[in-house]
Amino acid sequence: MSRALRYGVPWRGLLIHGASIVFILWIVLPFGWVVLTSLMTEVESLSVPPHWIPDYVTLDNYIAFVDPTILGSQRLAGGGAAQGAPRAMLNSTIVALSVAVLNMIIGSLAGYAFARLNFRGSATLLLVYLATRMVPALAIMVSLYLMFQTFGLLDTLLALILSYLTFTVPYSVWIMASYFRTIPRDLEDAARVDRCNWINMMLRVFLPVASPGLVACAMFAFMSSWGEFLYALLFTSTLNSRTMPILIAGFVTDVTVSPTLMNAGGVLAVLPPLVLALIFQRLIVSGITAGAVKG
Amino acid sequence: MAAAETLAGARSVRGARFELSERAFAYLLNLPAILTILLLVAYPIVDAFWLSLHRYNLRRPEAYAFVGLQNYVDVFTSDQFVPSLGVTLFFTFWSTIGVLVLALGMALVANEHIPQRAILRALILLPWAMSGVVTALMWKWIFNPNSGALNGLLYSLGLISNYRSWLMSPDTSYLAIVTANVWNTLPFSALVLLAGLQAIPSELYDAAKVDRASLWARFRHVTLPWLSQPILIVLIVQALGGIRIFDIIYLLTGGGPGYQTTTLGFAAYVTSFISTDIGRGNAWSYTVALLTLVIAIFYMKLLYGRGDVRS
Repeated sequence: MSRALRYGVPWRGLLIHGASIVFILWIVLPFGWVVLTSLMTEVESLSVPPHWIPDYVTLDNYIAFVDPTILGSQRLAGGGAAQGAPRAMLNSTIVALSVAVLNMIIGSLAGYAFARLNFRGSATLLLVYLATRMVPALAIMVSLYLMFQTFGLLDTLLALILSYLTFTVPYSVWIMASYFRTIPRDLEDAARVDRCNWINMMLRVFLPVASPGLVACAMFAFMSSWGEFLYALLFTSTLNSRTMPILIAGFVTDVTVSPTLMNAGGVLAVLPPLVLALIFQRLIVSGITAGAVKG
Repeated sequence: MAAAETLAGARSVRGARFELSERAFAYLLNLPAILTILLLVAYPIVDAFWLSLHRYNLRRPEAYAFVGLQNYVDVFTSDQFVPSLGVTLFFTFWSTIGVLVLALGMALVANEHIPQRAILRALILLPWAMSGVVTALMWKWIFNPNSGALNGLLYSLGLISNYRSWLMSPDTSYLAIVTANVWNTLPFSALVLLAGLQAIPSELYDAAKVDRASLWARFRHVTLPWLSQPILIVLIVQALGGIRIFDIIYLLTGGGPGYQTTTLGFAAYVTSFISTDIGRGNAWSYTVALLTLVIAIFYMKLLYGRGDVRS
C-alpha cells in the first residue's frame, strides 16, 4: 500500500520494467550468443551475416572435448587443442579443491583467534591481512616465478596451489572471523565442561555450527582459483599443470581454432562455477556484501 | 548448585591455563596464515623491490649488477611510460564510471517489487561466476570482424554501413576492453549497492512522500546519502581492479593495436617475461603496486574509521 502511495507516478513503472528488461538482455544476450555458437556447425558459425539461431543444432563441439575425432576434417582446426581438455578440467578441479580445503583450515584457525581470543596486536594483524589482499599479483609474479624455479616447482599443480593461497587466505580469514563472531559462546562453554579438548570441541561442536561460513569460504576460494589466469599463464607450460583458463586462452589466441569449439570450451569452463553460484546464491550474495563491507 | 560449582571450578582451572597462553594460542592459530603470507607475499614483494634495483636479464645473467634506481629512471623516461599510464588511468576511469552508473541502475531496479526481480537477481551472478578469460573469449567472438554478433547486429539495424574490426582500430579497441571489463565486474558492485539500498529504512521515503518530494528529490536527499559508503566501496574496488587489469588486455587486444591498449601491468608482463628483463620488469610492476597503494591506504582508512576493523 505504502508503495502504491509512494510511487504514484505512472511512467515510473514503465521506466523500471523497461530498465529491468534492458539489464536482463545485457547479461543474457552476450552469453546466449556464446551458447548458440557452441551448438552450431563450424560452417554455420562463420556465415556472414551471422546466424542467430542455428539451422542445425549439434553437440559435436562438446563431444569433441572427450573424443576429438568426432569433428572429422575439423580436427585440424583446434581438435588437437581440445584433446588436453579432460586433463585441464582435472587440473583445475584439483587445484581449486585443494585451495578451498586449505583455506577452510587456515581460515578457520585464524578466524577463531579473532572471534574468540583477546590478544594484543589482533587489530593490527587483521589489517595486515586486509593489506595483503590488495597486493597486486603483478607485483609479486616475477619473484614467485623465480622462487618456484629454484624449488623446481614450475609446471606443477603445487605452484598454482601455493600462489592461489596469496589472494584467497587473507579473504578467508576475514570471512571466518566475521562469521565466527555471530556464533554464541554458550556452545563452547558447554563443550568445555565436558572436558573436550580444543580440537575435539572445534570438530564436534563449533565447526558444524559454523558450516555456512565454511562453505562460503570454500566457495570463494574455489571460484577465484578456478578462473585465475596470470599465475597459471606464468607457472604452467605443459599439460601436467595446465588449467582450463590456459586451455581457453589458447583457443582465443589461436586463430586456427574453430569458433564453435572455442565457444563450447567457454561454456564448459564457466559451468562448474556457475552451477555452484546458483546453488549457493544466497550465501554468495551475503558473502560478497559482507566481504565488501569488511574489505 | 553443585553443577554450577563444578562449572565455575572447571572454568577457573582451564581459565588459569588458558589465560596465560591466550596470546600465544592466538598466534599459534594464526601461524599457518602468517607463514603463508610471509613466504608467499611478504618475501616476494621485498624481493621484487630488490630485483628492481638490479640489472638482471635472464638471457644475460652474468651481467647482474646493482644499479640503484636506474630501472625506474629508464621506465619513467621511456616512450612507453606516459602512454601506458594514460591507458591504465583511462581504462580505470571509464570502467569505474561505467560500472557505477550501470550498477546503480541495476540495484535500483532489482530493489523494486517486480516479477522479474528474482530472474534479475539470479542472472547477476552469471557474469560474476565467469572468469576474465571466458569474458574475454565471449567479447572477442562478439567483436569478431567477420562473423561477430556486433557487426551483424549493427549492420542489420543500419547503424554501420560496413563491417568494422573493433579490436584492431585505435579508438574502438579502448571501448572494447572497457565494455568487457564493465560486463564482468558489474555484478559485484550491483550487489554491494543493492545491499546498501536494502539498508535504507522505508520510513524515510514515507516521510519524503508526505513532504511531497519529487522522485529526483527523494533519490538525491534520501537514497544517495545512504548509499555514499557503498558507492565509495564500489569506486575503490573498481579502481583497484582497473589498475591491475591483465587477462582482458592479454586476450582481447594483446596490448594493441601497436601499444594502444598497453597498460602499466601489461608492460610489466611483457618486459619481465617476453623481454626477460627482470630488473626493469619489476620496476614496471612496482609502479603498479605504488599506484595501488595510494588507493589501498585510502580504502583501509575508510574501513578503519568506520570501525569494521576491531580486535
